[in-house]
Amino acid sequence: MALFAFVVLVPSVRGVYYAFTDWDGLDPSFSFVGLDNFVEMFRDPDAKQAIWHTLLIAVSITVIQNGFGLALALGVNTMIKSRNVLRVFLFAPAVITPIVTAYLWRNLLSTDGAVNSLLGAVGLDSWQQNWLGDPDLALWSIVGVIVWQFGGYSMVIFLAGMQSIPKEIYDAAAIDGTGPVRRFWSVTRPLLAPAFTINLMLSIIGGIKLFDQVYALTGGGPGHATDTLSTLIYKDAFTLGEFGYSIALAVILTVIVAVASTGQYLVLARNERAAS
Amino acid sequence: MKKAKLAALIAATVSVTLAAACSGGTNAASGDKAQDNTLTLASVDQGSVEEVVKAFEAKNPGVKVNFTTSGADQYQQQIRTQLASGTAPDVMSVWPGNGNPGATYVLAKPGYLLDLSDQAWAAKYPEAVKSVAQYDGKTYNAIFGLNGIGAVYNEDALAKAGLTAPETWTQMIDFCKAAAGKGTPAFALGIQDNWVTQLVLYALVATTVYADDRGFDTKMQAGRATFANSPWTTAMAKYQDMDKAGCFQKNPLGTSYEASQQLAATGKTLGLVQGNWVIALLKKQNPTGKFTIKPLPATDNPASFVMPAAAGAGYGVNAKAKNKELALKFVNFVMSPDGMNLYVKQQGGVPALADTGFDLDPSLTELADYINQNRTVPFMDQLWPNAKVQQTMLSGLQEIFSKQSTPDKVLAAMDTDYKAGG
Repeated sequence: MALFAFVVLVPSVRGVYYAFTDWDGLDPSFSFVGLDNFVEMFRDPDAKQAIWHTLLIAVSITVIQNGFGLALALGVNTMIKSRNVLRVFLFAPAVITPIVTAYLWRNLLSTDGAVNSLLGAVGLDSWQQNWLGDPDLALWSIVGVIVWQFGGYSMVIFLAGMQSIPKEIYDAAAIDGTGPVRRFWSVTRPLLAPAFTINLMLSIIGGIKLFDQVYALTGGGPGHATDTLSTLIYKDAFTLGEFGYSIALAVILTVIVAVASTGQYLVLARNERAAS
Repeated sequence: MKKAKLAALIAATVSVTLAAACSGGTNAASGDKAQDNTLTLASVDQGSVEEVVKAFEAKNPGVKVNFTTSGADQYQQQIRTQLASGTAPDVMSVWPGNGNPGATYVLAKPGYLLDLSDQAWAAKYPEAVKSVAQYDGKTYNAIFGLNGIGAVYNEDALAKAGLTAPETWTQMIDFCKAAAGKGTPAFALGIQDNWVTQLVLYALVATTVYADDRGFDTKMQAGRATFANSPWTTAMAKYQDMDKAGCFQKNPLGTSYEASQQLAATGKTLGLVQGNWVIALLKKQNPTGKFTIKPLPATDNPASFVMPAAAGAGYGVNAKAKNKELALKFVNFVMSPDGMNLYVKQQGGVPALADTGFDLDPSLTELADYINQNRTVPFMDQLWPNAKVQQTMLSGLQEIFSKQSTPDKVLAAMDTDYKAGG
């Protein structure tokens, strides 16, 4: 605990102090500006847009990635022959560093990249898109890449949950004459509550803090169309030298993560209790 | 139990996010004294500094240079943190002028750089370099090379298309249409990387703004001119005209800098608008290719053309260098004919000092002529008061290309940032 306080808490709290200054990250002389940085945030259209993108990405990833992961888990939890191979393949993207997969996808999604070529080859020319260059599409391309990478991760957690459900319960349910949908809804879903808690928490926190993939895929562009709070914090601090302001943004990011994860945790914990 | 778990969770998320955002402090450098013959160096000249260090070590037996290299973005972040915490190397890359986080003004103002005014080469700088190597009348930056922006043509692709490089604006629009008609667009444009967006604009602004008004920056600084009410609007309009005439390949916003090089190197476009540094990269992809840089025509009067050409990143000496003597020795080597020519040869540029006896690459003759005839202006951002003006321009240009904004709005936003000062 002392180590934690010394290594993490003290520097973090000391860092927050800079959110109330106009420090440029370099000049040792800076002044205290009170709440100016926070007031500026509500005026700055880039910041408002970035907060919106952050929430949009976090919610989309949480819903889509877990829906996808759950579907995959149900699929490979059956007795099909290739299930072990499939599990490995589906989980594989999650063990690669996000920055590497992001640069890979940046190439695949470029105008002359593999995705468009593939669509052209199978006669779907009209589906070819400017995946990362179209401001209406770029954000969803990023979400797609993340779901591709971490869908398998959610799958593994769901799968572990499913395998801990005693087979006898399913047998009993089958004797009662329930169909597969009813079995999922009344047996699997409630008993998976702990897995849901872990998965939803991880993906909402990951989604809100998202940086690597956005930075590598679009750099926040075109324009500011995909800027998230994290990319904005980085740009303000290191490109524009507005350290004080960017730390103020980081404080807001922290508050959002804390509120979202606590709120979610309380709801999910209640579900867990109700299920058990 | 539940409560403890929750508290730990909150603490963990708070600390993770904050730790990511915070760094700093002004602690002095810790500890061990560097040995007298070891020099520390941080550089952005990947691929060329290695040769220079080798030559320097060979010339000074017993001397060891510990150097690191990194890309510009990463470097700027690293050097600022190191300077603020007193752990910066003896010699470091410093950009000319103002307007980026590692620029001369930005680092010299808080006193992080050593005054180099009394070194022999400082007096020999041409005017265009002097203005961006100095802060407050003192020289802080050892600038060894100059770079220019223009239209870089793939000569083989031109010949294959049966076209010649245009000499006027009207010719260029016809050239673009003809090239697009043959299925090989005139210029590759890779503006997925937002810094690339500015190059065509700078190439046009050099002539539309500075041909008739070399004092435009002085007027801007005095508040007597704005972007929105200047020929910057003409340049913006011409950028759009080029797009409409089919000068660029499909989907520039979905094309990266690397992809644009590939298009131009392999003749899928007839060239690209870039800095001369791209020629070395094009030759890597197409070793037998022949590439030349020419001014991008912005009007129908070639005699008035001006090219953007500017000092590239140079070297500054840490005011608190552990080994000041060796640091100066290194900087003086970089500025000697041997060092300078070695750098410039590796990077494919033009030496900053005229008397080095450098054997210029034929692809750069036209650029060198423009520099010698004083028909160049520094890159526009080098004289802007803060880094924000340029960032607003870069994301604004991406927004114009994706129809999220208009040239008038972007120029007005640049004016607002300019007036906010430094």
